[in-house]
Amino acid sequence: MWPPPFLEFFEWVATLPGSQYLREDAPNFFGMFLTIHVLSLCLFLGLVLMMDLRLLGLAHLDTPITQIQKRLFPWQFVGAVVMSLSGLVLFYAQPVLYWGKGFYWIKMLVVLPLAMLNLLVFHYTTYRSVGEWDTAAKPPPAARLAGVLSIVLWVGVLAFGRLVAYDWWTIVEGGLKGN
Amino acid sequence: MLQPLFEWMYGVGIYKSSIYLGPGVNLVHLVAMCTFMGALLIVDLRLLGTGLTTQPVQQVARSAQPWLIGGLLLLTLTGIPAVMTVALEEYANPVFWFKMYVLLAAVIFTFTVRRQVANADEARVPPVWRKLVALVSIVLWMSVAAGGRLIMYL
Repeated sequence: MWPPPFLEFFEWVATLPGSQYLREDAPNFFGMFLTIHVLSLCLFLGLVLMMDLRLLGLAHLDTPITQIQKRLFPWQFVGAVVMSLSGLVLFYAQPVLYWGKGFYWIKMLVVLPLAMLNLLVFHYTTYRSVGEWDTAAKPPPAARLAGVLSIVLWVGVLAFGRLVAYDWWTIVEGGLKGN
Repeated sequence: MLQPLFEWMYGVGIYKSSIYLGPGVNLVHLVAMCTFMGALLIVDLRLLGTGLTTQPVQQVARSAQPWLIGGLLLLTLTGIPAVMTVALEEYANPVFWFKMYVLLAAVIFTFTVRRQVANADEARVPPVWRKLVALVSIVLWMSVAAGGRLIMYL
C-alpha cells in the first residue's frame, strides 16, 4: 500500500494542459487558491458546525431544526462547491506531490467519504422523523450522535488536509507548499 | 516601537518542547476559526435577508453570541503562540500587520456597530443598513482569515 498505487495516473494528470503552467509559471497561484479553499471552508464548515450544535442541543435552540437545515443548506452547498473546485485546482497543479502524501490519501479515501456517509445516513434515516423533534431543545440520541460524528469527521477532514502541508509521511519532497 | 516585544516573544521559544505543539495549536486555531465564522455568518446572512429568515435577527444574534465570543477567545489564545514562535518574521511581514490592523477594525466594528444593529428592534433599522453592516462584517473578517493564510505566501 505504501508507496501508493496509480503513480502513472498522477504523472499523466501533471502533463495535462495548464497543470505545468500553474506549477511552474504562476507564482501567486498556490497562495491564492489555498486562500479561496480556506475562505470557502469557513462558510461550509462554519455553517455545518452551527447545524451540528443545534442537533446536539447546544446552540440556536429557539430555531426549529428543519429551519436550520433548509435555510443554511444553500450556503453550505455554495461553500462545498467552491471548496471542491479550489481543491481540485490545487490537486490539478501538483498531482504527483499529493500522490506522495499519506495524509492526503487518508483525507480523500477515509475521512471525507465517512463524513459524507454520516450526512447521507442521517438525512435518509434519522431526519425522516424530524417532525417529532423539530423544536426539541434536546433531539433524540440518533440525531445527537449524527451531530457528534459530523463535527468529528469534518474536523478530521480539515485536520488531515492541514497535515498535508507538513513534511510528515511524504514521498515527493518540494513542490509548492508551506506551513 | 514594538520590536523589543517581538524579540522577547521570539526568545521565549514557545514551541521548543515538541514539534507537535505548532501543528496542534494551529489545528485548534482553525477549528476555532470555523466556529467563529459559523456564528458570524449565520447572523450576517440573516442581516442580508437570507439564511434563517423565519427567526428574528435579535434571536439569531443572541444564540450565536456565545459561540462568536468563545471562538474569538480561542482564536486569540491560539494565535498568540503562533505569532511568538516566528515573532521576528511576523514583525517584518506587511501581511501580518495588515491582518492585525484589519482584525482591530473588525473587532471594534463587530462589538459596536454590528452589535447595535443586530440587537436593535428590527422595525427601527432600515434593511439597507442591515445589509451594509453584514457586508462590511463579512469583508472585514474574511480579510482577516485571508491575511492569516497569506502571511506565508506574499
